[in-house]
Amino acid sequence: MRTFSYVKATSLKQVGELLAANADAKLLAGGMTLIPTMKARLAQPSHLIDIAGIAELSGIEVKDGKLTIGAATKHVEVAKSAVVKKAIPALAYLASHIGDPQVRNRGTIGGSLANNDPAADYPSAALSLNATIVTSKREIAADDFFQGMFTTALEAGEVVVKIVFPVPAKAAYEKFPHPASGYAMAGSFVSQHGKNVVRVAITGAGPGVFRWKDAEAALGKKLAAASVEGLSVDATDLNEDMHGTKEYRANLAKVMTKRAVAKLAVTAAASKSGGK
Amino acid sequence: MAKIELKINGKQHSFDVEDRTLLVNLIRDHAQLTGTHVGCDTSQCGACTVHMNGAAVKSCTVLAGQANGADITTIEGMAKGDKLHPVQQAFTECHALQCGFCTPGMIMAVSGFLKDNPKPTDEEIYRGLEGNLCRCTGYINIVKAVKQAAVAMSK
Amino acid sequence: MDQHHHSQLFKVGNAQVSRLEDIRLITGNGKYSSDWNAPDQLHACFLRSDRAHARIVSINFDKVGQIKGVIGVYTGADAKVAGYLRPPSFLPATGKGGMKARVPERPCLAIGKVRFVGDPVAMVIADSHLAAQDACELIEVVYEDLPAVVDPEDALKPGAPQLHDDVPGNNPYEAESGSEAPVTEAIANAAYVVKLTVDCTRVTASPMEPRAALIEYKADTDSYVVHTPSQGVNMTRKQFATYANLGEDKFRVEIQDVGGGFGQRSTCYPEYVSMMMAAKALQRPIKWVSTRTESFLTDTHGRANIITCTLAMDKNAQFTGLRVDWLTDQGAYLSPTGPAGHIRNPTTCLNGVYKIPALYAHFRVALTNTGWVAAYRGAGRPDIAYAIERVVDAAARELNMDPADLRRRNYVPLNEYPYKSATGSTIEIADLPGLSAKALTLADWSGFEARRAASAKKGKLRGIGMSAVIEPTGAGTYPRDEIELSVNADGLVTLHTVAHSQGQGHETSFAMVTANALGIPTERIKVRQGDADRSVTMVGNHSGGSRTMVGAGTVCHIAANKLIDAGKSLAAEDLGVEPSQVSYSKGEFSSPHSKKKITLAQLAAKKKLSVVGEGTFTSTYPNGCHITEVEIDPETGVTDIASYLSVDDCGHIVSHTIVEGQMHGAVVQGLGQVFGEHIVYDKESGQMITGSFSDYIMPRAGQLKSMQMEEYTTLSKIGPLGIKGMGESGCTASLPALVNAVSNALGVKHLDMPLTPSKVWATIQQNKAHLAKHH
Repeated sequence: MRTFSYVKATSLKQVGELLAANADAKLLAGGMTLIPTMKARLAQPSHLIDIAGIAELSGIEVKDGKLTIGAATKHVEVAKSAVVKKAIPALAYLASHIGDPQVRNRGTIGGSLANNDPAADYPSAALSLNATIVTSKREIAADDFFQGMFTTALEAGEVVVKIVFPVPAKAAYEKFPHPASGYAMAGSFVSQHGKNVVRVAITGAGPGVFRWKDAEAALGKKLAAASVEGLSVDATDLNEDMHGTKEYRANLAKVMTKRAVAKLAVTAAASKSGGK
Repeated sequence: MAKIELKINGKQHSFDVEDRTLLVNLIRDHAQLTGTHVGCDTSQCGACTVHMNGAAVKSCTVLAGQANGADITTIEGMAKGDKLHPVQQAFTECHALQCGFCTPGMIMAVSGFLKDNPKPTDEEIYRGLEGNLCRCTGYINIVKAVKQAAVAMSK
Repeated sequence: MDQHHHSQLFKVGNAQVSRLEDIRLITGNGKYSSDWNAPDQLHACFLRSDRAHARIVSINFDKVGQIKGVIGVYTGADAKVAGYLRPPSFLPATGKGGMKARVPERPCLAIGKVRFVGDPVAMVIADSHLAAQDACELIEVVYEDLPAVVDPEDALKPGAPQLHDDVPGNNPYEAESGSEAPVTEAIANAAYVVKLTVDCTRVTASPMEPRAALIEYKADTDSYVVHTPSQGVNMTRKQFATYANLGEDKFRVEIQDVGGGFGQRSTCYPEYVSMMMAAKALQRPIKWVSTRTESFLTDTHGRANIITCTLAMDKNAQFTGLRVDWLTDQGAYLSPTGPAGHIRNPTTCLNGVYKIPALYAHFRVALTNTGWVAAYRGAGRPDIAYAIERVVDAAARELNMDPADLRRRNYVPLNEYPYKSATGSTIEIADLPGLSAKALTLADWSGFEARRAASAKKGKLRGIGMSAVIEPTGAGTYPRDEIELSVNADGLVTLHTVAHSQGQGHETSFAMVTANALGIPTERIKVRQGDADRSVTMVGNHSGGSRTMVGAGTVCHIAANKLIDAGKSLAAEDLGVEPSQVSYSKGEFSSPHSKKKITLAQLAAKKKLSVVGEGTFTSTYPNGCHITEVEIDPETGVTDIASYLSVDDCGHIVSHTIVEGQMHGAVVQGLGQVFGEHIVYDKESGQMITGSFSDYIMPRAGQLKSMQMEEYTTLSKIGPLGIKGMGESGCTASLPALVNAVSNALGVKHLDMPLTPSKVWATIQQNKAHLAKHH
């Protein structure tokens, strides 16, 4: 790592001031991506502003059909939260499958969304669930927030404060982990809102998270794995490397979607039979 | 430079270090506890796993500053006198180590996730070990040791 | 014939469950190379080539002075002055047709040219490792890029970029073994000929401990103390001495724990001798700890052999001849063990487990703009076993025969051992017909179709694969192995060895052998390895080639008996009898002719009780049959190991615990190569694209959930204990067994490793019609 100054911030206001004063400062939440990048000397911020301890960025609550999670909430906290498990169990499931236990004990939801790694898990949940990303300056709809590989709508000096997820009727997440890194080679988050609205967000397969609209339309008509069978994800713009061709990733996106939908049915059946 | 005050294995320490110091370097070079190992640069191998405020973390991916004020447990703090921690005991009894380099990180990771999940299924054990690499054992005996430790700890 | 289907050398009551070295390793009290520090030490950091092939136009390190704490910078110019230009090479001087080996220089820091990404160009010495890293970034190197070649076949083509002026055609060596004419004739007269080319891919050993070194210079004796991961102190000293053109007496190697080796720790690397320059010039200890990124780029790689087998058979499917055309990619420089190991080792087991009257192999060696290659768990033996066992399966497929039946028709029968192969090996003893019959029964080979049908019902593709393998292990390069035993007044026995465990548990197994012979508890034996003071005077091999229990391990037994004899002579005086009248049992000397008794401790309190035992051993031949079944998810291409059975002949076993651990680890290292591990370079740029654990697919927990291990033993008579070296054989057997099983599931003749989900899925897409018919 090159040299930098570490500052532990205590309020959003202080963060704003520090960012304004230091053009090359970076925010540090869990540091699960940033610190390895800096160790490889691929990033050299002048300052690291540690936002993990800021009270305004913490907390998990459900109100008026919306689940709100503070940006500095760790993956392990989301995974274990009784509130999340009750409101959107698929989100708790997703959080429990990010990286590995040690990473989940440090990494944060805000950090993951702001970084927007094309193979990260959370962006698929935010996009599928039509979440709102609340920043220090404004509210951004997930459809507008993710702008391709490592790119978001966030502006300089803007800090993710919390994420507001509308609680769906049903949701499920399935991913195929990369055999070395554990990141998603393809992950599909499927959620049903009301009766006929289904949103499918695919992560890992392409240069950024995207919605698979053909699947959404088909699943909106009938929420069954068979609805996706005849469809295919357009492979043209997908990622390709030694670990998988575009066609393979397109296939995985479809298979993960089918499996997520199949899981929806099982989850729904279980909650019916087990409920009340 | 920053002043870092933290507790390691119950003992209070104070160090003046560069801001870019990693927790693992603080532990190995400054506190001179070399049982915590470094096996990679990309947060994959888990050899550097320690407990920070009770949770397993990769100390190669935590800045000393982030650990300021924390309570750290390293492999050296696991046994109580001559009495091994049940995970340590299980590792030796199950021949879950060969060269031993990954072992401290493995033991810290396992004791970490057994706290959250005292009765893991096989699949949960595999997922619990996702953050740790071993090159010698093929993991079979490590998984066996985790099961044995889980039983011992639930007694 | 002495047959033991279950073999334990010692009574179960003497079995060691927990290893003696474990306590320090599980409590954080191990001492690995990076744990060594010396007062006043300085830190090294290496500036490495960021390109595959280039001329160095200039190196400017004026700016490093900006970094506080920088002491010095060393480059190839210093290497030239020091004369640290040639690492050792174990390549025989002449090859095919009298061709002289062309071993290129490898200066410890590049002189004039860089030849692979990672080649060290400069070394910075500073008072902290961070300062040394900061300074490295400020060194400006001007390069003139040259075209690079990373494919070994391309490298040998006319017009390929030339790596070394003194190695024309990038061809340092060619060799042959067996004789060509009889094989050509066998192929011409064959009823069936099956030919198959396999890529035994380039991988990296990846011991979990990255390389590290602390090098101290001792001015009074003009010598060096070296602390670095090693597989044996003698081998390390010899290699340092050769690289640095100094006597072996100028080096002492002092080490304790080594975090895995697998062949990768048997090399003296250029970084170490570079550090010698600074240690001597600055008269201060120099420390360096490799990053994992540096490990991927610069640690020796393994395998990297492209092998073509042409198998001739008569009308009864009896093998009549085998031709092997072998191309080994050795990277940019020749490592000490690489080319020799990848020629000599396959030659010694070129017939596999089969009776093949005519054998011929042609070995070509290529230099490419990639990292150098050396021994890796088996060093050429897994490669040849993989090639043979693949071609045998391919032959069974073409002849529409059961692969188990084809093998059975061709095994060397028990009564033909010792078997002299057509490449000159004398293979001591094995019983593959009996051993494989046991394996086939245990695996319920004949019941496979029902299991395949059950898997098909679940939508899965099931396959079965077997391998039958043998390999030479145990012979060393030193004239003998020595073990020193000394007893102190407390009756504690200190055992000195120059073999060095990298995880094999010598402190336990050596203690078990010695304790068994002396009739005392294992806890009374303290094994010392890597003790610089003792080891400079002892002869013996390093731990590699599965040799240590065959050699040094057996010598523990010999030395213990020698100690008893020496004790008898000394005790005779106390007992007042002749030495021949003294008997020994469980730590006590007595005589029917005397009322007195004297214990080992009492004797050692009075007199020096210390012996050096020795022994010389040729190769032993562990062998085995592994059978595995896989289940493939056709939607994702993921392969699940449904079952894995090993039946092995490891000779007599000292510690079942340790042998099982070795077998687990070796099988899973094979599995790693089969399903994911692969060092890949970009063809155009020569950049490594698998340079971290995020891209290099290591095996993980749960990939092999369990394995059934069984024994079928024939005794080696090479040593008095009947031990066969078995540290590598699991890897040798698992490569072909797993690839055979996947090929069987997919119904294809061959698929090159790694069998990643992506590749398996693509193969399924291509073969959909075929699979629909057969599954």
